[in-house]
Amino acid sequence: MTALEDAPDAVLAQRAADGDELAFAVIVRRHAPYLRAFVIRLTGSSAEADDAVQDALITAWERLGELNEPERLRSWLTTITSRKATDRMRQRRPEAAIDDLDAPSPASGPEERAVAASGLDALSQVLAELPGDQREIWVLKEVGGLSYEEIAERTGDSLSTVRGRLARARSTVLERMEGWR
Amino acid sequence: MVTLDGEDDIGGSGFGLDELAAYRDRGRTPAIPAIDDNAECQAVLDSLERLGDLSRELVERDAVSLPVDDSWLAGILNAIAFEVRAGHDIEFPVEPADTGGDSGADAVADAPTRLTITEGAIREIVRWAGDSVPDVLVGRVALLGDTTDPTAEITIEVTISAAFPAPLAERADAVRVAVAGALLAHTPLRVGRVDVTVGEIHLPSRGGSV
Repeated sequence: MTALEDAPDAVLAQRAADGDELAFAVIVRRHAPYLRAFVIRLTGSSAEADDAVQDALITAWERLGELNEPERLRSWLTTITSRKATDRMRQRRPEAAIDDLDAPSPASGPEERAVAASGLDALSQVLAELPGDQREIWVLKEVGGLSYEEIAERTGDSLSTVRGRLARARSTVLERMEGWR
Repeated sequence: MVTLDGEDDIGGSGFGLDELAAYRDRGRTPAIPAIDDNAECQAVLDSLERLGDLSRELVERDAVSLPVDDSWLAGILNAIAFEVRAGHDIEFPVEPADTGGDSGADAVADAPTRLTITEGAIREIVRWAGDSVPDVLVGRVALLGDTTDPTAEITIEVTISAAFPAPLAERADAVRVAVAGALLAHTPLRVGRVDVTVGEIHLPSRGGSV
């Protein structure tokens, strides 16, 4: 008998949709770390990550019957989590700034990035240095897989604001990653 | 990686960074030869692709140092316990009372009992029976037919995942027999048919799907 811990996502999702709480517990153990890491990268803080992901997983349990492609479980969970996280972020700063909060925080310079142990370390620093609004949009787009429209809806910003902000983020990340070989 | 001098016209293609990003976002279709045939544009597209991959890898790496806390998991499981997926009740046939002049407590004890089982419990029995077949994990279970009618024949649809390289037809038959037997022994359902579909193949003792 195959252990539930080794079951593919699709099987776990189907069982949990049918009410199997053990299968759901395996889903939580398997995917929660990624979801929490996603929220921390998105918001820049770990304080709310636990709550946002807990909310997301409870919602996921309620809506598992709606998941038509159970093999796409992680990306479906990430989408739900991004909504919970951005809801909290919108509540935290009700007056969404139209302009970027361009406060460059030179925590490290090109020299530090050049000696970063890996591309991952370099990207980690570059993302940490981005203004919050740009980092948020980068993570929603590249990790969350959201479209421009979805990002605009979630952040409460206009589509043109989202495009502009993402363009600046993209340009910045490309330029700063250029220093790393 | 790539220089961004002349951001508005990369490699002389006539396309700027934002346009290349949009081209990538829509899956590079319909094809634009001016971009596809331009080496510098391709380098930029490759960089954008790489940065996307690195971003996801970064989150995966972060995740390794964030294992799930038992009490946090318990909090979630407690919260979902109220969202019951039992489905409706299915009644067992009533046991005839053995009235032989009993009175008082005996009369109560011998009164006809009403025993019900939920659809959720029936699905659990199907999973338990199917899981007991070697190399098999049960996925979705559907009960087709009118489960409120005790005379109705119910079709059980079971989707399973089988461990490669188990013989699929043989395992499916074994699931059929196990499920039918378990439902006969433990539930009041009139089982007409058990349909087994192999929805997934998985690698034994690993989580990945083939």
